[in-house]
Amino acid sequence: MTDITDTPAVHVSQLVKRYGDMVALDYFDLDVNQGEIFGLLGPNGSGKTTAINCILALLTYDAGTIRVFDQPMTPTSYALKRRIGIVPQNVAVFNELTVTENIDYFCSLYVPKKADRAPLVEEAIDFAGLQEFRKFRPGKLSGGLLRRLNIACGIAHRPDLIFFDEPTVAVDPQSRNAILEGIQKLNRDGATVIYTSHYMEEVEQICDRILIMDHGRHLALGIADELKAMIDTGERITIETFDLTDDALAAVRALPFVIEATYDGHELAVRCRRGDHNLVDLIGVLRGAGANLGHLTSRPPSLNDVFLELTGKALRD
Amino acid sequence: MWSTFIVTLKMNLRNKSSLFWLIVFPIALATMFNGVFGGLDKAMSITPVPVAVVQDTNWTNAVGADTLITALAGDGRTDKATGGDNADTTIGDIDIDIRLLDVTKVDSAAQARDLLTRGKTDGVIAADGDGRIALTLGSDTVATANNGTQDVGLDVSLAALDNVIDQYNRTSATVKTALKDNPTAALTRTFWNGIGSAMNGTKEISLTNFKPDVMARYYYALMGMACLLAMSYMIHTVTTAQANLSALGIRRTVAPLGRARQLLAGFLAGWLCSCACLLVALAYIRYVCGIAVGGREPLAVLAVVVASFMTCSFGTMIGAIPKLTDGVKQSISTAIACGLSLFSGLYGGFAMELSDLISRKVPLLAAINPTQQVTNLFYSLMYYDSTQPFIRTCAILLAMSAVFLMAGVIMLRRQRYEHL
Repeated sequence: MTDITDTPAVHVSQLVKRYGDMVALDYFDLDVNQGEIFGLLGPNGSGKTTAINCILALLTYDAGTIRVFDQPMTPTSYALKRRIGIVPQNVAVFNELTVTENIDYFCSLYVPKKADRAPLVEEAIDFAGLQEFRKFRPGKLSGGLLRRLNIACGIAHRPDLIFFDEPTVAVDPQSRNAILEGIQKLNRDGATVIYTSHYMEEVEQICDRILIMDHGRHLALGIADELKAMIDTGERITIETFDLTDDALAAVRALPFVIEATYDGHELAVRCRRGDHNLVDLIGVLRGAGANLGHLTSRPPSLNDVFLELTGKALRD
Repeated sequence: MWSTFIVTLKMNLRNKSSLFWLIVFPIALATMFNGVFGGLDKAMSITPVPVAVVQDTNWTNAVGADTLITALAGDGRTDKATGGDNADTTIGDIDIDIRLLDVTKVDSAAQARDLLTRGKTDGVIAADGDGRIALTLGSDTVATANNGTQDVGLDVSLAALDNVIDQYNRTSATVKTALKDNPTAALTRTFWNGIGSAMNGTKEISLTNFKPDVMARYYYALMGMACLLAMSYMIHTVTTAQANLSALGIRRTVAPLGRARQLLAGFLAGWLCSCACLLVALAYIRYVCGIAVGGREPLAVLAVVVASFMTCSFGTMIGAIPKLTDGVKQSISTAIACGLSLFSGLYGGFAMELSDLISRKVPLLAAINPTQQVTNLFYSLMYYDSTQPFIRTCAILLAMSAVFLMAGVIMLRRQRYEHL
């Protein structure tokens, strides 16, 4: 992580955005420090993209304040816009242009001189791993390569602040890892990143701070461990067993640290409260009930558990 | 702005669909028109009819018959052209500059019949004892002349020939009757002048700037349709520049280059491309299909420039309509081009009559039909001596462009949106 300065890269205060009767952003607050990777985590429709579009002065809003690098953001804030890059959720490239031409064109909107932008375009091609596809048109690229081109077009001009709006949707695991590593590299090189996703693993993997939102509201903010510490859920235990009786299941549910226990005929899943001996106690009850135990896992709490506990529903609902 | 102009130009030139509709389609349709209508000119033209002329005693006694046949065969014109003066190419005060006959002189009716039977001639011209001459046609010739799909121009030539021979016979009878009643009349110049002026005929004179070409209007209407199809360039340009219309628009809107400059660059590129495509189509129609533009080729190029400006303005307006995808807008523009072309007469005789009817009865409707106005641009170059109608049509198209652009700008002026 790079140095963090005092002036926030983005400051949003009490932002309200309504679509008719529907409230998309409900007095939403956000402060993103310079030099960090900030994760906006929420399910589809939670208001992540709306918040970004308001910050970018694409959408009108009903109330609130937005400042970027301590300046008001308007559609004609060209000096500010020059410092911003965006990787939209949908791939936004010209199908008639080659990979190089696409990157060069979008870079030219920020860097008019050809001589100045030529090395930037090369750098972006290298960054996205598109060296072998320079002369390919988007129609000839795979989904993963298209996403990488989408990213290269957004970062070629070396922006100080980059918005990644769900950049890994419909991307294979290999490309996803390459994208996430690339984002971390951009951050190491000095860029502030705002990363939206509904994939908690990604957010947890790369983000310095995470804001969980739902229904346009700010639910929780902090680093991943802080967020996990906020909830009662301790660990999730799964045990393979084929002969669990109803009495044994009832005994498990009666344990004081068990929040929830389910059995589907071959696997017992138990969500536990925080505790030092949960696993030992659980195994003791099952052995006592005569159950034969197979494969066993114990997983610490995830951001999905945080979301579940905060909203009463799973993040991927 | 320059890079946006270049990129838009590249995109337009690589857009296969647009290139097909703007270059291949008009050329293919013009080629089809040329194939279908190309024979019509010949069908309406007069071609020499091969006949055998029986030069027997009756023929020798028929005063003026030989002169008439010589003139109809165009032999006198040849002599005149080469400086000869032994024959005349006029009958009365009418110049004959068209060959109606291809004459084979024979001594007897039997020889003439033989030539007719062998198919060497289409008919026989002979004189009777009263000095009347008659054209007799072979049955095959009659069948051919009555069959519209065969031997183009024969029926027209035969009709003209029949008319000329009939006039000769009537004039000859009038002269004989007059001289019988007043034999001294032949000594006066007034009498012969009167006989000469009694001859009437059809004389071709030009009332228009250029020789009319019935089929030219179809090609002009085709230009009108091709012109409107060029809207697709601006529709794509506007759609990809608007944040509320595409993801590309979002990316371009957050860039530090003002939207007006991006749209202006796109407009100029679209205008240039549509001009180039339409000029290719015009060149094909003019030089390959041979459809004239009144000998005013530079003005025809200007017409393409004005028409392209109008269609780019129209495309800007359609492209700016919110909440419709690029594909839907492209479909709308194609439907508009095809629909309005009906009223500019592209789809055949019925459409042409409809177009004329609208122009006569509801001129306002014709005035607001862009395809009709583009058609009129070329039509006015072809038919009018004055350039006033051309300038007026240009003014109408520019006024239309202003309205389209104004509507487009009203829809595009928002910089932030309620929804994306």
